[in-house]
Amino acid sequence: MAGAAAPAPAGAAPVIELSGVKKRFGGVVALNGVSFSLRPGEVHALVGENGAGKSTLIKILCGIIQRDAGSITLGGETYDPHTPGDAKKAGIQVVHQEFNLLPYLSVAENICFEDMPRKAFGMVDYPTLYAKARKALDAIGLGDVDVRRPVESLGVAHRQLVEIARALMGESRILILDEPTATLTARETERLFQIIAALKAKGVAVVFVSHHLNEVFSICDRVTVLRNGESVMTADIAGTTTDQLVTNMVGRQLAAAMATARDLDTGGRTALSLRNLRHPASPHAEGVSFDLHYGEILGIAGLVGSGRTELLRSIFAADLPLSGTIERDGQPRRYRNPKQAIRDGIGFVTEDRKEEGLILGMAIAANVTLASLRKVSRLGLLDKREETRLTRALGDEIRLKYGDTADAVSTLSGGNQQKVVLAKWLANNPKILLLDEPTRGVDVGAKAEIYALLRGLSEKGLALLIVSSELPELITLSDRILVMSKHRIAGEVARADFSEERILNFAYKDERNHGHH
Amino acid sequence: MDTTDLTTAQAGSKTIATTTKTVLREAGIGIALIALIIVFSFTPHFLSSSNVTNILTQVTINLVLSIGMTFVILIGGIDLSVGSVLSFCAVVAGTVMTLPGLDPAVAVFLATISAIVAGIGFGLLNGLISAWWAIPSFIVTLGTLNIARGAALQVTNASTIYSFPAAFNAFGSQTFYGIPLLFLIALVLVAIGWFVLTKTVFGRVLYGIGNNEEAARLAGHNVFFYKVAAFTICGVLVGIGAIIYMARLNIASPIIGIGFELNAIAAVIIGGTSLSGGRGSIVGTLLGACIIGVLANGLILLGLSDFMRQMITGFVIILAVILDKYRERLTKA
Repeated sequence: MAGAAAPAPAGAAPVIELSGVKKRFGGVVALNGVSFSLRPGEVHALVGENGAGKSTLIKILCGIIQRDAGSITLGGETYDPHTPGDAKKAGIQVVHQEFNLLPYLSVAENICFEDMPRKAFGMVDYPTLYAKARKALDAIGLGDVDVRRPVESLGVAHRQLVEIARALMGESRILILDEPTATLTARETERLFQIIAALKAKGVAVVFVSHHLNEVFSICDRVTVLRNGESVMTADIAGTTTDQLVTNMVGRQLAAAMATARDLDTGGRTALSLRNLRHPASPHAEGVSFDLHYGEILGIAGLVGSGRTELLRSIFAADLPLSGTIERDGQPRRYRNPKQAIRDGIGFVTEDRKEEGLILGMAIAANVTLASLRKVSRLGLLDKREETRLTRALGDEIRLKYGDTADAVSTLSGGNQQKVVLAKWLANNPKILLLDEPTRGVDVGAKAEIYALLRGLSEKGLALLIVSSELPELITLSDRILVMSKHRIAGEVARADFSEERILNFAYKDERNHGHH
Repeated sequence: MDTTDLTTAQAGSKTIATTTKTVLREAGIGIALIALIIVFSFTPHFLSSSNVTNILTQVTINLVLSIGMTFVILIGGIDLSVGSVLSFCAVVAGTVMTLPGLDPAVAVFLATISAIVAGIGFGLLNGLISAWWAIPSFIVTLGTLNIARGAALQVTNASTIYSFPAAFNAFGSQTFYGIPLLFLIALVLVAIGWFVLTKTVFGRVLYGIGNNEEAARLAGHNVFFYKVAAFTICGVLVGIGAIIYMARLNIASPIIGIGFELNAIAAVIIGGTSLSGGRGSIVGTLLGACIIGVLANGLILLGLSDFMRQMITGFVIILAVILDKYRERLTKA
């Protein structure tokens, strides 16, 4: 379908050319030499693990942050945007992963926000505004959406399409789509691909960032792989295989770690047993039921919004479940707050370590002992010596790289920050560890270390429940994988049957059923 | 055995390193205070013992209120009600103290207890409402500001209470080597506040909540309890502040304490505590309160009008926050 459009001529002068682009944030190197070029009318995939530098690169291209080194030429001239406005003037439009819509304004106002039609005295020319917005929506096949509706009343998928309509309002030479399909159903993704094909035909160069390699293969002409802030590979899609991409994305070191088979031993006692546990976000689902055993690593796969994070939060009582039962070592439990779950031997490594996992401004030691302050205090008085000792001991155990236990945790790299989060829970000697995207924003080296650490924990008998969007990660670590869809378990895959295809089939099952009516 | 010793020694040196860092943070504020004192010492009476006593007396009440305010601001809250609540506590205590037929010592004791209880009552109210319904404390305490003021006027029928026991009045004007006794009491409260914030689990969690409430909650801490506790501590200090006010000025009136909350907030902010919570210290607050007191006194000695003094104090508050932004950048680098 979309891929059928004529590929860009290989000899055409590039619209934009990057070479040796570097960027660091404090001590953390985000980009360490990225080179790539875009030809007019091509769809160029940008792939890489989380934290590989895709977002940073996009932010540089659209003027949100400035590069430290390297050159970017746009149509033969040096391109050095200092504000998002500069980028737009140069014809670079971006649809960001996070929505940048104004929820209480209408669809039309959102679409035309950058260039509102005006009448005398700066008053808004509403008839023109609505007409322009109508045209923009019709162009991307959203004929059924009223442009006067406030954006907050739209579903996620429609919001995504409104974002795209807004980006297409300006003159665009280059359109950057950052994970545009993450929230779309199969049918909506199809529609997006048609839009991309049409843009391509008009000579617009499209940068397509996606985690779904099958999409990359179906609509892109070329692909560039980023790893650890470097561009490690650029090739025509035609001559590339999935294996090649994955190996380049994760690096040889990790590819080796992934290849190590895991000793299957799920014969442990049941640590945690859920029956019809329902999260308030989906009152109509039947709920989630499964058993988690000691010594087992149980993976949870599923699309964004399938209820994976909500599941972990309701086990941990971060959100109170609507109904359902939890049994811990065979005893019924009803946790009313995280404190009770923690006392019962459960730890929760949250998805967003900056918002929920760490207290960034505070010392490493203070973060490590945050959930176990009773261990490093007596009669309510802190024993800072004991705190330092405990932090050092755990730091050694998880191979944490740090200067001083009194340094603020914000001075550490992403991987080491994540290790501090792990240390915080390990300080409590948990029996069950819930992990939500345990390697998000972590570099490849630290990732391999975290994998080894998690394996070690399960060998010690801990029960691990891991949610991850990266299927290779789940396939590497898990003994079993449960696939969630619409806030329930859509399927279970045993280790012997692990394959991305099988897992995705379960994940998309409901989407497909919905696509037919 | 050798390894154990080594570890202990290292741990010790790290603690020192941390302390030095904190001290350096506060050093800037201390230097500002010393600079002010040096500048004003060129005016004839500034360093005279009677003027020093005067400054310390002026600083005392604001200092006591600022200690409580520091706890509230550290968890990311604010308490606008302290001035009105101080007035309410004072009229309650004044009423108790002037009850007919009470032995003076008993009267003063009961009055002190009742002022603190009244302060705790309002602190609990502020904390419970803002924590339970997740209402910004700015709004809740704006409400209790009016409630407490109205209650104080209602209870007294808008009249002033005076003629407290003579011993109580004498206590209020007692000095040791020129240092007012009331200021020494305030210093003891500073020491207690410092201890609680830096040496206890309670203080650690308070900082944690101010920095990142959700992370603290998910680490198993009862955020609700700590929020209510911070406002209650503030209430206790307002109650004590009310007694100190009465001991110094020998009156209790429903119209005292107007604007005290703003002075307390100013002292906390000048002392380097972040309004968004999680960062700051009691020692900083002590220095902040002293800066405000020294500035007010010195400017009067320089012959500036009260109006000019107010303007300059305003500039200093803004300046302090701007300087803090730079300091933040320096510590991050």
